[in-house]
Amino acid sequence: MSAAPYVSLTGMSKSFVGVKALKDVSFDVRPGEVHALLGENGAGKSTLIKMMSGLYSPDAGTITVDGKDMKFASTRDASAAGIATVYQELLLFPELTVAENVFLGNYPRRPGGWIDWAEVRARTRALLDQLDTFDLDVDAKVLTLSVAQRQRVEITKALSKNARILIMDEPTASLVESDVQRLMAVVRQLRERGVGIVYVSHRMPEIFALADRVTVLRDGGYVATRDIGEVDEAQLVSMMVGRPIDSLFPKADAKIGDTVLEVKNLNHGRHVQDISFSLRRGEILGVAGLVGSGRTELALTLFGMTPATSGEIVLEGRTVAITSPRQARDLGIAYVPEDRGQQGLVKQMAIRKNVSMASIERFSAGIFIKAGAEAQRALDAVKRLSVRCRNIAQPVGELSGGNQQKVVIAKWLETNPKVLILDEPTRGVDVGAKAEIHTIMGELVKQGVAILMISSELPEVLGMSDRVLVISGGRLTGEIDRADATPERVGMAMTAHQSGEAA
Amino acid sequence: MNWKSLLRHETFLALLLVVVLIVLSFQSDRFFTVSNLLNQGRLMTEIGLIAIAMTFVIATGGIDLSVGSILGLTAILTGVFWQNIGMPLPLAAIAAIAVGTLAGFANGAIITRFNVPPLIATLATLALYRGLAEGISQARSVRGYPDWFYVLGQGEVLGVPTQLWILAAAAIIASIILAYTRWGRTVYAIGSNEVASRFSGLSVEKTKLALYTASGFAAAVAGVIFVSRVSTTRSDMGTGIELDAITAVVLGGTSIFGGRGTIAGTMIGLCLIQALKNGLSLAGVKGDGTIMLIGAVLILAILASNLFERSGTR
Repeated sequence: MSAAPYVSLTGMSKSFVGVKALKDVSFDVRPGEVHALLGENGAGKSTLIKMMSGLYSPDAGTITVDGKDMKFASTRDASAAGIATVYQELLLFPELTVAENVFLGNYPRRPGGWIDWAEVRARTRALLDQLDTFDLDVDAKVLTLSVAQRQRVEITKALSKNARILIMDEPTASLVESDVQRLMAVVRQLRERGVGIVYVSHRMPEIFALADRVTVLRDGGYVATRDIGEVDEAQLVSMMVGRPIDSLFPKADAKIGDTVLEVKNLNHGRHVQDISFSLRRGEILGVAGLVGSGRTELALTLFGMTPATSGEIVLEGRTVAITSPRQARDLGIAYVPEDRGQQGLVKQMAIRKNVSMASIERFSAGIFIKAGAEAQRALDAVKRLSVRCRNIAQPVGELSGGNQQKVVIAKWLETNPKVLILDEPTRGVDVGAKAEIHTIMGELVKQGVAILMISSELPEVLGMSDRVLVISGGRLTGEIDRADATPERVGMAMTAHQSGEAA
Repeated sequence: MNWKSLLRHETFLALLLVVVLIVLSFQSDRFFTVSNLLNQGRLMTEIGLIAIAMTFVIATGGIDLSVGSILGLTAILTGVFWQNIGMPLPLAAIAAIAVGTLAGFANGAIITRFNVPPLIATLATLALYRGLAEGISQARSVRGYPDWFYVLGQGEVLGVPTQLWILAAAAIIASIILAYTRWGRTVYAIGSNEVASRFSGLSVEKTKLALYTASGFAAAVAGVIFVSRVSTTRSDMGTGIELDAITAVVLGGTSIFGGRGTIAGTMIGLCLIQALKNGLSLAGVKGDGTIMLIGAVLILAILASNLFERSGTR
């Protein structure tokens, strides 16, 4: 375990136009270890791994590989030194097959320069088999594969170049639970074979299950490196945030009032079947379910994106038909979508314009926008939700994930919603901002807003909800009160199969 | 940050325009005269009206290729309604403009209802409307309009060509709408991220429908002005005008991917192209050479603005 490091980075610094992204950070990876890299968004993790993989060149600091000083002018150099990276956004060519992707740019040749396709396919097969991935066809086009399978192709590609160090940037961010388990098995197997792994993730359970050592960065600076046995979760979180976090899920005590929303036998396609539930003022109703179970589809139906084909929606005692998001908004239903970048925000636009986007009529006199009032409201919102930004003219795309999410929430709060639907409110959000978003939710329910919270993260559902709805195969398979909501009960309901589903 | 880089593109373009005007005025002493410049204003009105509407369309990430055909169709119908059907001329012109507007509405309906990409939808209607125009005209031209009708295309008001007033009014109203109203905001939002706009409760479909309708209306008005300017009606009028309008819009800094663009930019782009066309022909450069130069200016202007943008924002 205490083998000499294969790669060491010492005193790494990097600035981007005036902003110091990384200050004097040291980091090393030994063969056959999993070294977790932790930090909030903007802490410098990405900058560090990009220097390790040759994408950025450091302003100061040295990189040593296998005892020799190295300078990486490009990713090619890093790759030649045995360092490979699996990025969060997978960089595969969807129209090419698995085998073509794995050896792209690196094809084995036959005399005369012809690509030896038989060899390409055979070697890809062998590599996949080494990862126990017998179910993946080397001739399948990448576009037909799931995210988890694509990730395995990326790993295979790294192995095809005899990588000694594999950098994995948030590899489980978009995987469902069963795929996470499988990925972790692959990581363990690579470790056995002596590959050193840099594992970047926000998810504590994974880090404790996999890592041998953990290094924490904060605000571009180095905090500490520890053996995993020496630390617990609370310590790591406070190292990342720089202050102790009192409680991971600050459940506010709100007075639960009358029923605001009542849904009766709602249907839309295969993913929303015969759903009935009610939601009261000041209540947080959690929605649990596996990916693809129909949670988001339920939200989209309530929000008018995919209008219900049958069933009844009763809002404050009045039966309503919701056929467009605009109408949902006018009725007091707000939806903070799952895909922040695509659905939640116009990234190029300023914070000010995003905040007013869903309620632009309120900032207008006739058809004219009252720029002063708009700016004032945006300033208030930024302050109230403590969005960290230069100013309200800053494009939201430049903010960190957590701050972007706060802007989306601010946008919908401007509409004074009665029902706020939050779809994965803290996905891709760092620990500090996550706690802040939970606190905001607490304040909203105190003001009498009813919240429907969809989340893949079971601890979040259990920690924040007054009641939990469980959806499986488009149907409601459980409605559990906070007191009775244990991971086991919710988990059971999540995987419950409905007899009617096959029909 | 964003508007600053926009401003830079337009400033750059305006400077380029000044340079071009100076250089051209040295090439020919007939170029920089009041009467020539006003006459050029007359000539660029039709493209200008279309380009104003096109700026909105392109700023939403769309495009309207059918405007030239709508112009032709409106021109033909004005003549046919007046001469063959016997409507009074003002009524004939209004009816023709109504049909042109309806043609734009049809574009919008095809694009929003059936989710056809604007490029394909308007490429199809480009052929369709031109075919209609040719079918209706039977290759005959209509002439002999009453004298008062030529005031629109050939006359002057307060010493300035009549249609130039229309263009100026349209430009001012359009730039106020784009910059200061929630409609303008919606246009930019759709162009930047249509999905998020829809998720924010903006009326994406209605807005697009309105824009393509407005584009049809602009082309139709341009059609009537065209007839009045050239005193005759032919079915091939306005062929290729869509490309001139798109060139002006893109040269003016509107992003072809949407989300960015101003009317001021489009107007400067329009003037630049017209100045080059006219000035170079006065200086004795042949038509082919002029077109090549306009192409080169377009590429240079885009490159320069990209350069500005890079140094400006990051």
